[in-house]
Amino acid sequence: MIRLMAVLITLGVLTGCSQVQPWERGYLAKQEMAWDSDPLERALNDHIFFSKEASSGGNIAAGGGCGCN
Amino acid sequence: MMNKGFMMIGLGLVTSTLVGIAHAVEEGDPAPDFALPSIYADQPAIALADMPGKTVYVDFWASWCAPCLTSLPLYNDLYNKYRDQGLEVVAINVDNPIEDGLDFLLDTPLDFLIPSDPEGDMATQFSVIGMPSSYLIGPDGEVKLVHMGFRPTDMEMIEAAIVANLPD
Repeated sequence: MIRLMAVLITLGVLTGCSQVQPWERGYLAKQEMAWDSDPLERALNDHIFFSKEASSGGNIAAGGGCGCN
Repeated sequence: MMNKGFMMIGLGLVTSTLVGIAHAVEEGDPAPDFALPSIYADQPAIALADMPGKTVYVDFWASWCAPCLTSLPLYNDLYNKYRDQGLEVVAINVDNPIEDGLDFLLDTPLDFLIPSDPEGDMATQFSVIGMPSSYLIGPDGEVKLVHMGFRPTDMEMIEAAIVANLPD
């Protein structure tokens, strides 16, 4: 019974899925759709992260994260 | 029981995907009849039914779509070259809000018709599968060419197709 309910709930949730149509892709380019919506905060976090890791790149910047640049 | 559950979830996923796929307009199909308001509030509505016997080039564009913005001034040249021979260019804007499209048009004035389809009703009817997508409709109301994406070098092919389908 619980399993059936779990399946039904999952199916119910799935109906909430919707495809982003080609003409709606502008929504994905909006700032609020980015992982970090604040570019300054992202730059700061990146700076701290790369300082700690003694590497750079491999996040969204060009470079493979080899730590050689 | 567990396997059955997974199967049902898989079935649900497949169904939700299939629901989104409709029959895309292809070459040789009758053109979907569109009627949309103009993006400019002071201009009349734009309908395919008002262009009988004309060659109509329908293009779907948005301000966030870089190749679309490259193509529009080139279509404007094409329109001015062939408008006297019965060519209509209808560039359907799918920006939501429409102000994004209007912003672009402020800097780039275009002479042809620009309807606005913020809810994507016509894009749904044409089943646009990528941006930009354009459809050449002959004077007989049949789709003669479907073109997806845009590179400036495509203009040669598009112009040839238009010339071949101009009204007599």
